[in-house]
Amino acid sequence: MAFAREALRNIFKKPVTEKYPFERREPAEGFRGRPVWDMKKCIGCGTCVRVCPVKAVEMIGRGREATIKHHLERCIYCGQCAESCPVKAITMTPEYELSDTDKSKMLHVYERK
Amino acid sequence: MVSEALSFILQLLIFPGFLFIICLAFFSEWVLRKFVARIQNRMGPTYTGSGGILQPFADFIKLLGKEDIVPAFAERTYFTLTPLLCLTLPLTALFILPMTGHRALISFEGDLIFLAFIFTTLTIMVFLGGFLSGSVFSMVGGVRAATQLLGYEIPFLLALFGPAIPASSLSISKISTWQAQNNAWGLWTQPIGFGVLVICLLAELELLPFDIPEAETEIVAGWNVEFTGRRLALVRLGRDVELVLASTILADLYLGGPQQVWIIPPIIIFLAKMFACLLLIGYLKTLFARFRIDQVLSGMWKYVIPAAMIQFIILKLIW
Amino acid sequence: MSGSTIKVIIGPQHPALKEPERFILETEGEYVVDVKVRIGYIHRGIEKAMENRTYLQGLYLSERVCGICSDAHTTCYVQGVEELLGVEPPPRSRFIRVVVAELERIHSHLLWLGIAAHEIGFDTLFMYVWRDREIVMDLLEIVSGNRVHYATNTIGGVRRDLNDEKIHKILKGLKTLEDRAKEYLKMIQKEQTVLKRTVNVGILSKSDAIKYGAVGPTVRASGVKRDVRADDPYAAYDEIPFNVIVEDGCDCLARIMVRSREVLESIHIIREALKRMPGGEIRVRVKPRIPPAEALSRVEAPRGELLYYIRSNGTDKPERCKIRTPTLANIPSLCKMLVGGYIADVPIVLAGIDPCFACMDRVLVIDREKREAKVWTLDMLRRYGREWYRKR
Repeated sequence: MAFAREALRNIFKKPVTEKYPFERREPAEGFRGRPVWDMKKCIGCGTCVRVCPVKAVEMIGRGREATIKHHLERCIYCGQCAESCPVKAITMTPEYELSDTDKSKMLHVYERK
Repeated sequence: MVSEALSFILQLLIFPGFLFIICLAFFSEWVLRKFVARIQNRMGPTYTGSGGILQPFADFIKLLGKEDIVPAFAERTYFTLTPLLCLTLPLTALFILPMTGHRALISFEGDLIFLAFIFTTLTIMVFLGGFLSGSVFSMVGGVRAATQLLGYEIPFLLALFGPAIPASSLSISKISTWQAQNNAWGLWTQPIGFGVLVICLLAELELLPFDIPEAETEIVAGWNVEFTGRRLALVRLGRDVELVLASTILADLYLGGPQQVWIIPPIIIFLAKMFACLLLIGYLKTLFARFRIDQVLSGMWKYVIPAAMIQFIILKLIW
Repeated sequence: MSGSTIKVIIGPQHPALKEPERFILETEGEYVVDVKVRIGYIHRGIEKAMENRTYLQGLYLSERVCGICSDAHTTCYVQGVEELLGVEPPPRSRFIRVVVAELERIHSHLLWLGIAAHEIGFDTLFMYVWRDREIVMDLLEIVSGNRVHYATNTIGGVRRDLNDEKIHKILKGLKTLEDRAKEYLKMIQKEQTVLKRTVNVGILSKSDAIKYGAVGPTVRASGVKRDVRADDPYAAYDEIPFNVIVEDGCDCLARIMVRSREVLESIHIIREALKRMPGGEIRVRVKPRIPPAEALSRVEAPRGELLYYIRSNGTDKPERCKIRTPTLANIPSLCKMLVGGYIADVPIVLAGIDPCFACMDRVLVIDREKREAKVWTLDMLRRYGREWYRKR
């Protein structure tokens, strides 16, 4: 009966469960969500393609004209690309609701204007 | 004569009979689930109906629509009979317990013995159903249910018949009426008996710490592991009715049952008492870890049976 | 003993096991007389996959060996690679590694405590413990930016620094956690039903624990003082004073107590580490190519001693990477614990070593008749698989 008091106390407490789809939790500072490429800064060096452990980043072309394709379904959000980028063109956003049933929506293409 | 018969049939089918009890059973399951969830700091059912109140009913409907499978090794007769009896036996027992007034729907001298008979039959059905399902887990579960019966049956019967002595009647309706009229609730006159009955009902309902016959982490779902679809639906509904039955027995035999207080109708008083007992059972169910079967047997014989006997001796000395 | 035994098969699918693994129990009545273990259901080919990745990419793969002790795996891997490179990580990074590792130990032990409670049917304790585990998960998110795969370690240091605000939050969270942990420790010791199910259950005597090479909390619960953090200090453990928690009970209760007390000890270690943390750099830059060498790295993961063996060959990819997880080391002693116990006690004894089968499974074929073991190469496996499917 060692838990009798603890159990009684909890009856009158609010449940700790977060009502997820209705109330969204703010991710902590520095959370690694969806990476986003800033194509104004990008120099097309291909470092992100090389370091990515899951080959989620694809680069078409080379140098300043290159287009970046990011496959979200492969991404493991490790943030190595953002860390290795020599010009800090990649940022990890706090977006976390990224799943989808449509695979075509998982491909993000970053083109030069 | 005809109108009397018609009224009886209506009572039997709708209120306080079949329909009322089924609704009450679904509602009690919801109350218990919500209550246990609150103790554990969880939400409990939320989606169906307001506050998830229709969740037990939704579960029932969902199970009815599922595929019905009879295992190749199962004994077909018992496999079909067990879920049916699991529901009908506690339902029958509820007809002889007073709920709306002084008299139960069906009341006769000696219905307390009938109640005891129903409880034992229920466990034997569980044993047969589990044993003949043809799975190792259900077999172990069935055997465990029968073994557990050996432990709790004697104190259970002693505690069940305790309130009959001061009322000098074996009719449940008369016992509860006597307690209400003399203001001598069994809870105050024989508290040990009440405790023993609660423990034995926990064992009978296979709730923690006695949920050994269906211990999830040990033997998957125990004796009801092979039941699917509408059979499982019936088994689960039967468990809910059993829950109502257990709290009704406590309310009727130890809390004076339905009684008129001031202008509040007896049914309200009865429901209040019944849900108080339900919450007590729910509260106790969250406090313990599961015993092992040998520990249940030795514990019952070492502590619970002597306690029940002492209560009987004290009763004999007073009355 | 010949005709009277019944085979009870636990697994590969069983509610007591969170992961598929098969235990064949020979039982006499309610007693277990013999156990046969069949491992390898969730072999994932991680060691082979390591060989096709650069050292940096392998880091993220090693993190995914285990979802619970992911930091222990990266620490171990990173230490091995640093040894190959001959690089010493900066002192501040070593302290940050200790903080994350101990936070992870708290989270793992609380998770285990909940599971153990669930195995003996005590779901209320399970819910409470997991509720309070959220605190430490949130702390990990604050420190590393993620709740499960922290990705704090990198070759040559750590990736994120701690600032005063974060340290303040950690200390605040630890205070609540300490109160809760102390309360659970008190309540578990008083709750009769828990004691009934854990005292004298799954006995592993001190001599057996040494003989079967048990590791981690399992061996410490049998009264053996064995902890990599103290015996072979890595990261900053040599600069932080701490006690190695040892219990003499040799049973499941002792395993619960060791882990609960280790939670408190970990809180103490984190406080000390935060107090003694020096300033300065958190990482050094390293070269991607590593000259031929071999390294053996050991880390005390929450479950016990974790071991990585890495061999480099001059390229940017390792030639061989061998992982020995604590669960594998504890399997022989698990068999010892199960024999002689009740069937009803199997789940809690199984849970007692905190098994993590996904981390453990390697293809190691043991020929029971010939009593020899051999490791299958990928080609052999491929051939075997092709033949097996053709035969079907």
